[in-house]
Amino acid sequence: MKPETVAVLGSYQSNFKTHVDEKTYVEQAQIAAAGALRDAGMTPEDIDALVFAQAPTHFMGVADADRWALDHVFGAGKPVFRIHTGGATGGSAVQAAYSLVRSKLFRSVMVVGAERMAETPDAQEVLNLIFDAFYERDMPLSTNTTVGLWTTCYLQRFGLTQEDLARIAVRARRNAMSNPHAHLKGEITVADVMASKVIAYPLKLFDICPRSSGSAAMIVGSMAMAKRFATRPAFINGSASVTDTYWIGDRLTPSAKLRFVDLGPAAPAARACYARAGISDPAKQIQVAEIYDAYTVMYPVQLEQMGFCAEGEALRLDKDGFWDMDGAVAVNPSGGTLCTNPIAVTGLVRAIDAANQVMGKAAAMQVSRVRNAVSTAVGGIAQFFNCTVFGAEPA
Amino acid sequence: MSAYVLGIAIAPPSVSHDGLRLEELVYRTSRGALAAAGVSQRQLDHVTLGACDELDGRPISSMLMAAPAGGYMTDEIKVTDSGASALCLGYARVLSGEFHLGLVASWCKCSKTNVEEVMRFRGDPFFTRPLGLGAVEADGLFAQAVQEELQISEAEVGRRVADAYRRAARNPRGMRYAEKTLFDVNGSPYDATPVRSGQRAPLSDGAVAMVIASGAFVERNRGCEPLARITGVGWASDSYQLDRARLRSLQSARTAWRSALRMAGLQDASALDVVELEAQTGYHEAAYVRAFAITDEDRISPSGGAFAQNPLFCTGLVNAAEAVLQVSGKAGEVQRAAVKCAAAHSCHGYAQQGNVVALFESAGAAR
Repeated sequence: MKPETVAVLGSYQSNFKTHVDEKTYVEQAQIAAAGALRDAGMTPEDIDALVFAQAPTHFMGVADADRWALDHVFGAGKPVFRIHTGGATGGSAVQAAYSLVRSKLFRSVMVVGAERMAETPDAQEVLNLIFDAFYERDMPLSTNTTVGLWTTCYLQRFGLTQEDLARIAVRARRNAMSNPHAHLKGEITVADVMASKVIAYPLKLFDICPRSSGSAAMIVGSMAMAKRFATRPAFINGSASVTDTYWIGDRLTPSAKLRFVDLGPAAPAARACYARAGISDPAKQIQVAEIYDAYTVMYPVQLEQMGFCAEGEALRLDKDGFWDMDGAVAVNPSGGTLCTNPIAVTGLVRAIDAANQVMGKAAAMQVSRVRNAVSTAVGGIAQFFNCTVFGAEPA
Repeated sequence: MSAYVLGIAIAPPSVSHDGLRLEELVYRTSRGALAAAGVSQRQLDHVTLGACDELDGRPISSMLMAAPAGGYMTDEIKVTDSGASALCLGYARVLSGEFHLGLVASWCKCSKTNVEEVMRFRGDPFFTRPLGLGAVEADGLFAQAVQEELQISEAEVGRRVADAYRRAARNPRGMRYAEKTLFDVNGSPYDATPVRSGQRAPLSDGAVAMVIASGAFVERNRGCEPLARITGVGWASDSYQLDRARLRSLQSARTAWRSALRMAGLQDASALDVVELEAQTGYHEAAYVRAFAITDEDRISPSGGAFAQNPLFCTGLVNAAEAVLQVSGKAGEVQRAAVKCAAAHSCHGYAQQGNVVALFESAGAAR
């Protein structure tokens, strides 16, 4: 029996900002769910099942907040479960929904989530708790300090400079000016990035994503649902995910199977994803990449490990405009995660932005003639990686 | 597409697994399931975890737990509703045709967590939390509602609990609690009216893992003998609101049950030889028996269900493993005769907001 073809039928993302004072969590989730239904021209009755994207609830202080939101996202009485893979959650949730439709268990599935990152005074305090209680927590590791070490390794290995990375932040903020949903945007210079406050050497404030709050939803469905509800759907032609070991030390040794500095799971996940999507040369066949770059270093590393260029080359190609909107591959036309990081739905937003490019719905961010776009999500200090290829035609 | 269970492992339960870290407990369990299936971790192409950060006591608990559970250098994903919910996603992934050999793992070390505090932490900050509502109080509201709606007497509840303890006492994979008399059960103090402490299943530490495979994998690996075929799954969630209509309706339980039966091509409970129910109190068992129209009481929870062991988050997946053992004839002292089809039920959330049902048939019947 042939598996079902899976298409993106509609989506929604809110405008993201630090605090969403005017709405509760459940209202945020409802706005996203209703927005995606409206976008797809569907009603709640057209949705067979839901997948909730919710990362650590410690940021907000309500455990299993998805259950609180069930009525508001039209999920009461329906099959629902929540996916949580840290920063990779949104991408994992899309992949779970994809499996539910591809398996023919359901005709249509809504992925929905919301985030209130700023409910906690300091997200890094919470993120310190993801590290091992006996060895790592007291160092003290956080996502900032860990990625600082990662960045030092990467720059030293390839003879690159902090200024090379700073250009990534400059482009991200500039691209985000075309994105009405982006949290941070505007014209900044390399000098501005270099002059911003040092957070964890060599990371400065502008090398790091913001704490964003907001919500998002995507509806995926079978080919029959696509014919009924979408004039120009994006098809999910490939998806893959790889998990590495928790122990960062084990990812730094010469014998490590996957290297921490390479964002180890990215390469095998991309290979598996491309194989499913029929992509043999990503730099030629993929026109847009919406990658999860919570820190500037994650941008070149992913491009290299996902086969868009050789190792150590991404920042050099960047100088030649390779990743510009009109370059060989448009990378993060949305501004990416550097400009907007609502952790629970960041991977979902990446997927929405990639799918919208294929569907011709990216408005001012639209890249011309997009046949394939890829989105990624990263979680757990580069431990979890997933990617999804969206195509204009079924694979 | 078909999906099979190749091997299962249920950790020896304990009131408190003090001698094992959680990752050691889960590692041993996943290794056990892989060994039972005759496959290695390297062969896995996907792992689906069922785990809860708050019960595990750390944000993104799968960071630490993925590798011990088998999720290393492979596709891995985590569901946070229940272990049985993870089985449903694992099943879908196999049916998708993209995955052929997977592991579903779930765990809960209740002894290391203040479960009631976690449950209160689930309350919304505006209405539920200020009431101090936890799982015990929610179960009390549920019991009040179904008692009235379904005419459940306290005598029936006591009898069901005593019977469950009696069955559980024979379960080699259970806690082997001493059997309880009706007086022990119904003479115990109230926890949340009308639920008495003796009517509630005691919490325990535990872990469970299940190796699942596609029909194609089974065809290619004739040395791997499936224990069971998964014939249907169903899951649903109710409203978050704890109002009378919601609590009385058992809507998500009924929906999950109907969905699973429909998928398996079964009409009703009479087609099932065994039904492993997750009943956190005697009221729950009485309610689910009525909601699922189970008329033959001898088919209910030969394992003793939650009264055998109750690692809260994964009790439903333990039920699934027990159902697999029943259809494969390997349930030991609690084995029922000639079991061809078995159901496992799971519930989770405030007053069982979510329900899951999985159906299994013997692999011999399937092949």
